[in-house]
Amino acid sequence: MYSILFKSFIRTKIAAISLVLLLGVGIISVFIGKQFNIKQEKAIIEAESFQEESIKRNVKYHNDDLGLLLYYLRFSLVKESNSLTGLSIGQRDVNPSILAVTIRGLEGQKYDTDFENPSLLLSGNLDLGFVIIYLFPLVLITLTFNLYSEEKEGKTWRLIATQTSSPLNFLFKKLSIRVFFLYIVLVILFLLAIIILQLPINEALLAFIVVSVLYLAFWTSLCFIIISFRKNSSFNALTLLSLWIVLTILLPASINNFVVNTYPVPETLKTMVEQRDGYHKKWDMAKEVTMDKFFAHYPQYKKYPVPKDKFSWLWYYGMQQMGDDESLESSKMMKTKIKLREKVSEAISWAIPTMHAQLTFNQIAQSDLNNHLLFLDHLDKYHEELRLYFYPKIFENYPVRNENWKEFKPKRASIVHTINWTNSILPLVFLTVVISLISFFNLRKI
Amino acid sequence: MRKSVIILFAKQLWQTTFRSKVLHITMVLVTILIAFAAYSGWDNYNTQNRIRNFYQEEARHSWESNPDKHPHRMAHYGSFAFRLKHKLSLFDFGMENYTGNAVFLEAHKQNTINFSEASLSTGLLRFGEVSLAMLLKIIFPLLIFYLGFGALASERENNTLKIMINQGATWSEIFFGKSLGLMSLAMFFFVPVIIITLLFMFLAEGNAITSSELLRYFILILSYILFFGIISSITILISAMSKTAKDSLIKLLGIWLFFIIILPKTLQAFGHYLYPTPSKIEFESIVENDLIKEGDSHNPDDIHYKAIKDSVLLANNVESVDQLPFNYGGFIMSQSEKISASIYNQHLNDLLTTYKSQNAIERFSAILNPYTAIKHISMAFSGTDFASYINFQHQAEHYRYRLAQEMNSLQMKFIPNKKTDTPSVIDKSHWEAFPDFKYDHLPVLSILKNEALSILSLILWSILSIIIVKKISQKTKVL
Repeated sequence: MYSILFKSFIRTKIAAISLVLLLGVGIISVFIGKQFNIKQEKAIIEAESFQEESIKRNVKYHNDDLGLLLYYLRFSLVKESNSLTGLSIGQRDVNPSILAVTIRGLEGQKYDTDFENPSLLLSGNLDLGFVIIYLFPLVLITLTFNLYSEEKEGKTWRLIATQTSSPLNFLFKKLSIRVFFLYIVLVILFLLAIIILQLPINEALLAFIVVSVLYLAFWTSLCFIIISFRKNSSFNALTLLSLWIVLTILLPASINNFVVNTYPVPETLKTMVEQRDGYHKKWDMAKEVTMDKFFAHYPQYKKYPVPKDKFSWLWYYGMQQMGDDESLESSKMMKTKIKLREKVSEAISWAIPTMHAQLTFNQIAQSDLNNHLLFLDHLDKYHEELRLYFYPKIFENYPVRNENWKEFKPKRASIVHTINWTNSILPLVFLTVVISLISFFNLRKI
Repeated sequence: MRKSVIILFAKQLWQTTFRSKVLHITMVLVTILIAFAAYSGWDNYNTQNRIRNFYQEEARHSWESNPDKHPHRMAHYGSFAFRLKHKLSLFDFGMENYTGNAVFLEAHKQNTINFSEASLSTGLLRFGEVSLAMLLKIIFPLLIFYLGFGALASERENNTLKIMINQGATWSEIFFGKSLGLMSLAMFFFVPVIIITLLFMFLAEGNAITSSELLRYFILILSYILFFGIISSITILISAMSKTAKDSLIKLLGIWLFFIIILPKTLQAFGHYLYPTPSKIEFESIVENDLIKEGDSHNPDDIHYKAIKDSVLLANNVESVDQLPFNYGGFIMSQSEKISASIYNQHLNDLLTTYKSQNAIERFSAILNPYTAIKHISMAFSGTDFASYINFQHQAEHYRYRLAQEMNSLQMKFIPNKKTDTPSVIDKSHWEAFPDFKYDHLPVLSILKNEALSILSLILWSILSIIIVKKISQKTKVL
């Protein structure tokens, strides 16, 4: 039985064409992921040499004034590269993975973006995640929409119904052969990805593969339920394509509109203005205004005297600190709102497998929004460390040449993501099982 | 061709369509989608512009409230440019949510434009957004395909086509009649969208509607009518060339997927692959290296700036900078601002040229793909395309430069060269005298120029579809 079904399947032109196309686009997507990974790694190396060079040059020019030198020096924080990102680039193209900051006010530097072509951002990355979420279901629809109806329309169904013991079993076998081919393409693509992107075999990769497999299982069940209504081919094609549009375009996009409109983030602009005013306005105020607040923030520096009638770095960095301190509330609020957006999206995604697959892929590949927020937390910490290290030295006018500048290499932020298996697979398993059960119920009396 | 017969066929298509139950469900769904898209575009426009206007004023107020001080302090105090949305952005979101919205403008330094909606969004943004234009561009073609796939193929299947011909109808009458019927069905869905768009444009907060906005609006309507005309004739053509309705449907769905979903994205990715761009660090270090070549204004021994100093002293016939009739520090800073801005802009323009090369392949495909043509026309006239964004970027940089140079010239004029006992400050009235940043959208003429290729493509496709319908109608067989 299987061999006949197998032969009849590979003879269908449209099936072969669509599978080959899928494989082709899949391979391209792996290379796009590779290109992205290479660009990221190159940028990290450049960050290292750029920082070394720029520190060297500035130390040469400003070797008598540590306060002035640190006005210029930029220190980079680099997100550890993760080859899995190449599979699902997610928000990594929008949010930077390298941030270079001076010890001056952080809020004015923290949100600086990378340069990227907005047309490319709009069209989105053609990564393997995209191929799995969008194109695999399409091919699956092409392969299965006429599973039953072609027999009916070709007048072969009655023959089958009389000659096989269980017509349901026949349909099931026919379906499994078609789905089998789709999974073969998936396996080939993952193997290629492992080789080309040099993916380490670990839990994250396993999770990515399991989510992909389950996501396709969900679509298989969806195709099967439509088949189980035993309508004609045109109806099936139209219904399945409509479902595809609703699930991959209309629903997620509408929910995105909803989230963006329900939770606007005016705190972004508020933080910008408050940061500027918090720092710059201090130039026109009495020094005590700044210093009282600064010493309240850092009591350990009270011991340093502030010259009354002339400029001092203590006062200057105190003013810079005020930019951060006075925009702190808005900045926190901004973060809370962004997290809220993430939370709401994730909650809704439990009911919508496409959204769920996309968000889970991004989480596993560490290219999600939350990963970027964690990166910014690392930046906060690193910036504070730099300040605490350099502040006393500046205030004591520590000689520039006594510092070992070679030690200041870009710091790597390692953000650990633990995979939540239940959250990752439960929604997909649940929906697949429910839909499959209904399909079998529909077909029990075929 | 007889007009009455054409109209008869058009009417017949209407009647068969409206008899189907599925259409009623589709109509309800499309209505809900239109209402949702319109409301969400309008809401987003109002909210975002309200926020941006508020902080623009807030920042301005804070600028004006500065006391008397040294102009260079004000150059560093700086200003902001918040990108205001065009009214038609409620119709087509374009790439707006991927472009930055706010930039801090200060002397010596070109800051990045930050806080794009994308940077504050989850991975969901990758699925796109629902806007009125998105419905028109992506969902409507599918709707037209769906309404028209059987227009001729079903008649052929049911053998009614033969009867029509036997009764004296000509092929071109059937073709044009059916196309017209389908086109008018498309209009049936399109007209509410354009009415709603106009209504929301009137209702939108802020300034009253301008003639330029109306002009853009009418160009959009015209372009979409052409687009739907092309889509309708393609549908009728495929339907005529297919043996069965099923065949016709499968072909049309394939066309939709390929030309609207897969091709544009693949071409954009391909363009990116062909023309790689430097990383930000690479870009910054190239700029910095070029700046170093031009000399360092902070370094008293710098050869470049020493030469400037000597020539200034010579030209003014004095021996030291203290004797100059203007403030020397202000002069040097204005020179250095000029040099650094021109170096930066030169590299930025190189980068933008690379972006344009990346986009070129997808943009040129408009000739072959009417969807790409309408996509670009729609974004451009809604003020949400690549050119609009670059326009904002240029205006912001231009304002930054003027601000820095105005403060430098105030310093040259009013700040003495010799240090005095009282701190050197100038009157605060100067702050108010310097105007706030005001963002002007691109004029219609330059958009027309930018989109010439896309417009040409739509016109060519329209002519082509009429010619093909005519040609094919002479050749098609009844069976």
